[in-house]
Amino acid sequence: MQPLLSIETVSKHFAAHQALRDVELTVGAGEFIALLGPSGCGKTTLLRCIAGFLTPDAGRIRIDGEDITKAPPYRRPLNTVFQSYALFPHMSVLDNVAYGPRRAGVARAEAQGRAREALALVGLEEMGARLPRALSGGQQQRVALARAIVNRPKLLLLDEPLSALDLKLRRRMQIELKHIQEKLGIAFIFVTHDQEEAMAMADRIVVMHGGRVEQVGTPAEIYRAPASRFVAEFVGEPNLIPAEPAGPGRIRLAFAGLELAAPDGTRCAMIRPEDVVLVEGAAPADLATAGGTVEEVVAIGPMTTLFVRCGDVLLKVARLGMSGAELQPGAGVTVGLRPAALHLIAE
Amino acid sequence: MTASRTTLALLLFAPLAFFAAFFLAPMAVVAISSVTTSDGALTAAHYARVLLDQYHWDVLWVTFRIALATTAICVLVGFPLAWYLVRIVRWRAWRRACVILIIVPLFTSNIVRSFGWMVLLGRTGLVNQGLMGLGLTERPIRFLGTETGILIGLVYILVPFVVLSVGNALAKIDTVYEDASADLGVGPARTFWFVTLPLCLPGAISGAIMVFALAVSAYVTPALLSGGQITVFSMLIFQQYSTVFDFHYGAALSVTLLMLTLVLVSIAGRIGDGGRRTA
Repeated sequence: MQPLLSIETVSKHFAAHQALRDVELTVGAGEFIALLGPSGCGKTTLLRCIAGFLTPDAGRIRIDGEDITKAPPYRRPLNTVFQSYALFPHMSVLDNVAYGPRRAGVARAEAQGRAREALALVGLEEMGARLPRALSGGQQQRVALARAIVNRPKLLLLDEPLSALDLKLRRRMQIELKHIQEKLGIAFIFVTHDQEEAMAMADRIVVMHGGRVEQVGTPAEIYRAPASRFVAEFVGEPNLIPAEPAGPGRIRLAFAGLELAAPDGTRCAMIRPEDVVLVEGAAPADLATAGGTVEEVVAIGPMTTLFVRCGDVLLKVARLGMSGAELQPGAGVTVGLRPAALHLIAE
Repeated sequence: MTASRTTLALLLFAPLAFFAAFFLAPMAVVAISSVTTSDGALTAAHYARVLLDQYHWDVLWVTFRIALATTAICVLVGFPLAWYLVRIVRWRAWRRACVILIIVPLFTSNIVRSFGWMVLLGRTGLVNQGLMGLGLTERPIRFLGTETGILIGLVYILVPFVVLSVGNALAKIDTVYEDASADLGVGPARTFWFVTLPLCLPGAISGAIMVFALAVSAYVTPALLSGGQITVFSMLIFQQYSTVFDFHYGAALSVTLLMLTLVLVSIAGRIGDGGRRTA
C-alpha cells in the first residue's frame, strides 16, 4: 500500500549547520507519529520542510505518491498547528476557523457552519464571537486545532502544540488530542521534546539527534530496545552497564561477572530501573545478583528510586510507591536482574 | 514612605506642568482670544467672519484637497518603501543605510528643502530639463505656482513619516501569521490582503494621520512653491498674526482649521478601528 507521506533522503543545511542529514521516513494514513528529540535535533526543520516553509537541499517529499518537495505551502494537502498558535489577532475565533474554507471560495454560511462544527469538536462552540486574545492559552490551542482540521486534511502537523500549557492542562490535552485524532482518522505528525508526551500519544516515535533519525519504532520498542546509547538516555532513565569483550562473540558485564553472548562491538548493556529488583533471602535461579550499598534514596510518591553502588556501577532501582523509602544511605542490599531483560547496545 | 510619596508627586507633577505650560496654555490662549474682542468681551464675530465668507471655504477646500492628496500619495509611495526595507532587504548594513537616507532629510530645515524643490521645479530646473531631454514634453511644464508643485514638495518632505510608521508596524508583525495563512491554502496576494494589510493598518493609519496633520498645517512648503498663485489656510493665519496683527481673527482661523482637522482625523481613526474588527 502506498504510504500517505514519504520522506526520501531529505537533507537541509543553514550556512555551516547541517540541520537534516538523509532523513528517511514513511507515514501511513491515520498514523500518530511523534518526532522526538532535544532542541536543535532537526525535528522542527523536518516539520517545516513537510509543511513547505523550508525547501530541502536534497531528497524528496511525497504525499500520496505526488512529489511536493518544491510545492509552496498553500498548495500542500496538509495543515499545521503552530507552536505559538498563530491565531489571526484581528479576526474573531469563528472567522479564524472559517478562514481556510472561506478563502478557498466556500460560501460564508457554509464556511461558518463548518467552522462551528470544528469548534464544537474541540468544545469551544460558545467562543466563536470572541477575539483570540480574550481566550486562555488552552482555549487558543484548541482554536488553532479547530482551524487546522476544519478542512479535514489527511495529514496534520503539530509543532510542540502543548509546550506553552501548564502540566495538568497538558496531560488533559494529550488525551483529548489523541481522541480527536482517532475520531477524525487524520495522520498526526507531532513534534515534541517531551519523551513522556511522545510515549503517551504516538503510535510510532521517531527519535532524532543531530539532524539524523536515530530510531523509528513503537513506544515499547523505543523504550525496551533503544538502538543507541543516545536513545536509551533520552527516553526514560536507563541503567547502562559497561561491557568488555570476553572471547569471540561473548562479553563480560561489570555486574556480577555476568557473561553473555553478544555481537562484536557491543559496548554496554541497558536495563530499565524497574527491571532491577532488591533481593531478600534466597534469590530465584534466573536472577543474577550482586551485593551493593545504597547511596541515595529519592521517593516521589508513586515511585521510589534507590541509587545502589555495585562495584564500579551505580544502579538505579525503581520501586512502586514508597517501598524502600525507609532505607538509609550506606545500607547494604542485594540487587538482582534477569539477564534476559538486558538490552545490548553497540553504540 | 512620605519621602517617596513626595518624590512620586514631583515626578508626576513635572510632566503635567510641562504639558500644561507648553501644550494646554498656548491652546487656551488661542481658544480664548478667538472668542473675545480686544477689550476682553465675549464675541462670536470672528467665527462669523471666518465661516460666512465663501473665500475661506474655497481656501479650506484647496488646503484639504492638497493635504488629502499628499496623504494618499505618501501612503502609496511609503508602503512599498517600508515593505522593501523590512521584508526584502536582507543585508543589514544596506537597510541601515536606507533608514539613514530616509531620516537625514528630516534634520534639514523645511525651508532649505522646499527651496531646493523651487530650483528643481523651475522652468529651466532639472526636472523640466530631464523631461524635455527624454522627449516627454515639448516645452517646460509649469510646476511652481500649481498644486502639483506643492504636492511634490509636501510628499517629498512627509513620506518618511509613513515609511517609518508602516515599517515599524510591518517589523512587528510575526511572519508566523503569514505562514498560517499559507498553510490554510491561501496564496501570497490574498494573504497580504486579508492578513498582513489589516495587521499593519494601525501603523499605516497613524502614519497617514501624521502626514495629514502636517500637510494641512504646512506653511513653508506651500508658501515657497505656490509662487503667490495658491493660498492655503495656514497662509491666511500667518497673514493675520504677522502682517495684520489681528490675533483674535487669526485665532478664530486657527481654531477652525484645528477643528476640521480633528474631525477628519477622528473619522480616519474610526475607519482604522472598524477595519480591525471586521476584516
